[in-house]
Amino acid sequence: MASTQHVLLSPAELAYLHSSLSQTPPIRPDGRTATQFRPLVAETGILPGTNGSARICFADGTEAIVGVKAEVEATGRQEEEGDEEGEGGSGNGNGNGSDWVEMSVEIPGVRDDDSGTAFLAAMLSEAVVADGGLVGRLRINGRFHWKLYLDILLISPPLSYPLPLLSLTTHLALLATRLPRLKSEGDEDPFFDDDWAAATYLYPRGEKRTRRPPVTLLVMAVGKNIIFDPSKEELAVADVTLAVSVGEESKPDSEKQKRGRRLKLVAVRTVDPPSRLTPPGVPNAVNAAYGAGGRQKQTGPRPVEPEAVEGVWRAPRGGAKPVVMAALVQKTLEAGGVADEVLDALDGVDLG
Amino acid sequence: MPITILAPKPVRSTHSKPATHIRNPSSSSIDSDDAPGGANLASPGPGNPDIMDFISSTAATRRTDVDIVTPGETITDDPQWMRGHGTYTSQPTSSSDTLPAIISSVAGTLTRTNKLLSVRPLRARYTPEVGDLVVGRIVEVQAKRWRVDVGATQLASLPLSAINLPGGILRKRTETDELQIRSFFAEGDLLVAEVQQLYQDGGAGLHTRSLKYGKLRNGVFVAVAGMGGGGGVVRSRRQVWTLDAANGGGQVDVILGVNGYVWISKHVETPETANTTTGITNLEESVSATMYSSQNDQIGVETMREIARLRGVVTALVENGLRVDEDMVMRGYHEAVEMALLTGDADDIYLGGEKGEQLAAALMAV
Repeated sequence: MASTQHVLLSPAELAYLHSSLSQTPPIRPDGRTATQFRPLVAETGILPGTNGSARICFADGTEAIVGVKAEVEATGRQEEEGDEEGEGGSGNGNGNGSDWVEMSVEIPGVRDDDSGTAFLAAMLSEAVVADGGLVGRLRINGRFHWKLYLDILLISPPLSYPLPLLSLTTHLALLATRLPRLKSEGDEDPFFDDDWAAATYLYPRGEKRTRRPPVTLLVMAVGKNIIFDPSKEELAVADVTLAVSVGEESKPDSEKQKRGRRLKLVAVRTVDPPSRLTPPGVPNAVNAAYGAGGRQKQTGPRPVEPEAVEGVWRAPRGGAKPVVMAALVQKTLEAGGVADEVLDALDGVDLG
Repeated sequence: MPITILAPKPVRSTHSKPATHIRNPSSSSIDSDDAPGGANLASPGPGNPDIMDFISSTAATRRTDVDIVTPGETITDDPQWMRGHGTYTSQPTSSSDTLPAIISSVAGTLTRTNKLLSVRPLRARYTPEVGDLVVGRIVEVQAKRWRVDVGATQLASLPLSAINLPGGILRKRTETDELQIRSFFAEGDLLVAEVQQLYQDGGAGLHTRSLKYGKLRNGVFVAVAGMGGGGGVVRSRRQVWTLDAANGGGQVDVILGVNGYVWISKHVETPETANTTTGITNLEESVSATMYSSQNDQIGVETMREIARLRGVVTALVENGLRVDEDMVMRGYHEAVEMALLTGDADDIYLGGEKGEQLAAALMAV
């Protein structure tokens, strides 16, 4: 088929992109600043059959919906049941509540058991569970707990690496999730209020404002520049790409009055950028089709690793430097930085 | 503010000019004089709506304000209409005496030209025509030809015999050329070419046998979605031009491929203009020297910034459903430069989201 899944860019394009992103400040192909996200459209409560749902749509047409469904489960029983129903390579873990959340990711045109999809699901559920706040909320009493099923659907073709989109949508869906109000007391069999209007938010707002679910952001580095929310073309020239999951830390009482939040790092994953698989450019000096003579024969063997030439693309080699990784995480977490602003903006979405 | 989250907009009409609604003539703008006895079997009569609803199958009564039809949807079974592009007629079965109905074969907006009904697809792939200037990307290298993605239903093919071989004079291709076919174009390379012929199956054969065509470098690529919704690249008099960029950006080339692939790059002086001593005989020779280079020239920051601004203009035009041609791109570019000056930061090149809408509104207003 004509439209290929992997990025296919010519060496000249890659060289141009890399040099424009390496400028200070970087010149991104769509004109955004280094920390700017693509504008997005968000709404919640779009699926009436779920406990909570959200939809986020980027201007370029990528769109994701997430539905959250909750089910009452006996706490002691999961040992016998085993982990058979683990779907999308997610959530089923080793006790301590990590299998209380089950996540499935679906991306059109990609198999369910594709390694990329499984990796995405693992990254998303890992962040949600590792935050630690969610599992406590799902406990009903000593014998029962809520089990959450998160269905994450990308409903457009993956025009760019969909991790940030899916993570933001999941975050919104969790914020919008409501559970029926518990009427029973103590360890008796749970009994709930029929009235949906009385249902309580999983993450209460307003007075009893609590920690938010974590968000996972995609950050990449080109040269000395750190770039957020990279598009597909930008990822194709990335030196390092990190998925940084950021959670909120509960504040000690002394700081309760202060504005702002304390961010904490929940998880970091390196993402293999496609840049490493790109073909290198051919410098004019060794190009057989270059020059007026149209060299018919190559003069001598071509060197194994040609030296870097200005204007010729070379795929990045070697691993990421710890300094660069630290800088990426630092830039994400800093107070009033990107993660802070993203959480603020997500707080502003009307939960209907 | 690094992130903007907007609430969803109310659904707006997908087309700019009001299309006539065939299925419900009483509420539409069909001129009374060209619809003599315009009885429409598929529209509900005023007298007995329940029964008429039942008869008029599925789609007759819903959505009277939006003219989007889906594949397989019956548009009308009134014999007075003729079928156009994007529709087909059903074969009436022998047992029933129903008339052949006109059915949509694509998802798109219904348009009417006198008695001709056609459906403009919302999204369509490029249909090649001989003489079109296209921008394409090599996806496959075969023994004697390349397969090129031009956004059509099939890959176009570029035979080795249809390119200018380096070495000056038009020479016959040799086995050496076949062996080093990847040194001309390799997978992923972008090129500008012309559609030379169409094959039986609708695929296109390309050629680059002109100094205007060949490999692309020194710039950025942007693919705008196919036609539909009024946006996209339209065939026009000039698809390739050079402009003087603002803010000291130098000269910038813009290539609008008819297939919706756009290339914006720094203008590089061809030896033809740079060296006046080059005669017509060795012109080919000197030009073809850089023809297959994949090494970028030195590009200044200002030029890069203006290239990114132009790319923003093109995407803003498409996102707001405006056509992309020389006139619109140039006006949009000047408008974008003005907008940046008004904000006080000439280096502000972002044209997404609201700024893109502002730009489109300014262009529509003129």
